[in-house]
Amino acid sequence: MIGEIDIAGVFVPRLLIAALIAFCLTAVAQRSMRRLHLYRFIWHAGLFDVALFVVMLWATAVVTAAGNIPGVK
Amino acid sequence: MPRSLRKLSFATANTAAVLAALYIAFARDLERPYWAMFTVFIVANPIVGAVRSKAVYRILGTLLGASISIFLIPPLVDAPALLCLAISLWVGICVYLSLLDRTPRSYVFLLAGYTATLIGLAVVNQPATVFDTAVSRVEEISLGVICAAIAHSVIFPQSVTAHLNTKIRSTLMSAGTWLSEALMRPEQASDMQAQEQLATFVTDLHLLYTHVEFETSDVPRAAGLMRLLRDRLALLLPRVSSVQKAIAALAASGSVSPRLAGAIEVTSHWLRSGESPEPSAPSSLPGGGGGVNLPVVTAQRSRAVALDWPGLLEQNAITNLRELVFAFADSKMLATALANDAANLPAHLEHEAATAGHRPLHRDRGLALLSAFAAAGATLLACALWIEGSWPEGAVAAQFAAIGCSLAATLDDAAKFIRSAIIGILLALPFAALYEFAILPRIDGFVALAIVLSPAILLFSLMQASDRLGGAGLVLAIAFSGGLALQDTYKADFAAFVNSNSAEIVGLLVAVAMSLVFRTIDPAWNAVRISKAGWREVRRLATNRRVDLPAWTEKMFDRLGLVTSRIRIAGRVGRRGDIDGLRDMRVGLNMGTVRGVGGELGSSSRAALERVLATVSRDYRSRLSNRRDAIDVEETIDQGIVFLGAEAPSGASLDGLAALIGLRLDLAPAGGQYAVKRTS
Repeated sequence: MIGEIDIAGVFVPRLLIAALIAFCLTAVAQRSMRRLHLYRFIWHAGLFDVALFVVMLWATAVVTAAGNIPGVK
Repeated sequence: MPRSLRKLSFATANTAAVLAALYIAFARDLERPYWAMFTVFIVANPIVGAVRSKAVYRILGTLLGASISIFLIPPLVDAPALLCLAISLWVGICVYLSLLDRTPRSYVFLLAGYTATLIGLAVVNQPATVFDTAVSRVEEISLGVICAAIAHSVIFPQSVTAHLNTKIRSTLMSAGTWLSEALMRPEQASDMQAQEQLATFVTDLHLLYTHVEFETSDVPRAAGLMRLLRDRLALLLPRVSSVQKAIAALAASGSVSPRLAGAIEVTSHWLRSGESPEPSAPSSLPGGGGGVNLPVVTAQRSRAVALDWPGLLEQNAITNLRELVFAFADSKMLATALANDAANLPAHLEHEAATAGHRPLHRDRGLALLSAFAAAGATLLACALWIEGSWPEGAVAAQFAAIGCSLAATLDDAAKFIRSAIIGILLALPFAALYEFAILPRIDGFVALAIVLSPAILLFSLMQASDRLGGAGLVLAIAFSGGLALQDTYKADFAAFVNSNSAEIVGLLVAVAMSLVFRTIDPAWNAVRISKAGWREVRRLATNRRVDLPAWTEKMFDRLGLVTSRIRIAGRVGRRGDIDGLRDMRVGLNMGTVRGVGGELGSSSRAALERVLATVSRDYRSRLSNRRDAIDVEETIDQGIVFLGAEAPSGASLDGLAALIGLRLDLAPAGGQYAVKRTS
């Protein structure tokens, strides 16, 4: 997760990129869950949304950083 | 949850967010942790959707403003005059754009404008650092909003819909009571208050519901239903005042028939009773009755109308009464559906909600331009003081001139708002000085800092949670955070503290002066201005067939609220008694009917109705140009009545007749009666 990506001369932290991807994934997941009325089964939607984002961020980090960072396979 | 507990949970969440933002900012060695700190206060709101929407808008605005300063500073830094001009122009453009949008989204542009001054003017002495400063501003703002958004969505979130549903229910209750009283009596001066309340409420619904997109995911999104509810609420007042007018005219020309009096009595009782209509009952009526089983709704369609003045007036009263009942019944069903996701709506409402288009609010390009000039002028003036006076803190003054004018741009009395902000800063400064010079030197480490700051943060957050002290709390919190200017290491410098804070005050004073010069807006003048915009809209409706009537109605209703609140402040009706938003709405609704029924009638009637529309348009043109030309409204409408009366009685011809009578009551000179004429 440490390290930066060079976008046209500007170094952007990888975590920021991963967070943006995770945000989009979370938004898609929330939208589809709302469409399917799945939020009826969730006690605390705010907490769930935050947790969902953290999970997505972790997943994105694992997928994009696999092989680069020791300890993450 | 009781109210006080809710306030406490809000304040706790806010304090947690502020401390978290500060902690992260210190841990990551950010340049100005206090930016993250007051960002939390700025986005804080008891409603979680409002926090999250403002969070998104604040990040977008900061990004835009930071990009502009990176774009402007390097090429212009050697030409201070040009740079000041460019930055002031940018502030003006942003204020203009943000004023055209009255929804919370306008914050993006507002912020983009003064962020460019905050970043750009702070780095003119070290232009090479503009990129770093811009990045750190974006980082600190993002940190603040993310902490606020997470804290407020996790710790006892309160959704905007719960708040709105309560307000909708109570408004419908009081509207029902008021309408039932209004039906039984003629119009009176105190009606203005009810008009203002309902119109402001409908506009608030519009503005507040924009937050729903940003609510936590369990809140249902029902923008279509809300739009329809606003449509129906906007119909109540023009309809009830139409009935009042018709009854008054009937009473003047003889007496009200027992049939009509009975219908009014029944309707009035129904409105007051608060009985909910049965949403599931099938409705065979055109436009849908929603199961409302009132004699007024069902009985009046079949019989032919006597074509004399009382008969036509009665037809007009009955038609408006029926529309009133439909609008109120629909409002109740929509309110139930909004409050309860599972409630099923009648098919016609469901369909209408799905297809309802965009509903724009009133906007005023001229005033927006004026405010833009004031903001750009204040920034430029402060810049001139800064450059000409070789005043090292002048940049801060220019920044605060831009901030003051931007934030006050929406208000009629901008100068008063900025003055109270100055008082807020003056009150907060001793408090900040106490911390800065007496408390902070004695402590070390984040835990100690959190402990000493908590009482102040908690106090400001509690103030923000209350309706009355909200604004004061925000000003105090921002001034406190800014005055404290917490940074990584403690460096107290009394001279710098006094210098930068007095520059803030000078900047705001410049903003006050410019607002007084450019933007001292007489509420009565503004009311006339808004009314005139409405008259132009009436003309547009008369001449342009593509105007969407529900959107038109809501925009006019929004104007009605704006005008009545300004007239209340001004304490008098503007020049001439010509300002009457409800009359304009009635005229518009009747024109809508006239437009709609034309297709079902014979060609000669259609031509007569076209002539009526053209005459109404001319009548409003003469109102706009301030001349009261003698316009043959009366004759044209009477001809229309003759043609429609000759048609075979049908729903369309009856509605058309009622609408023509409505137009006649509003546009023909008072007391004029329609007398049967023979077409020769």
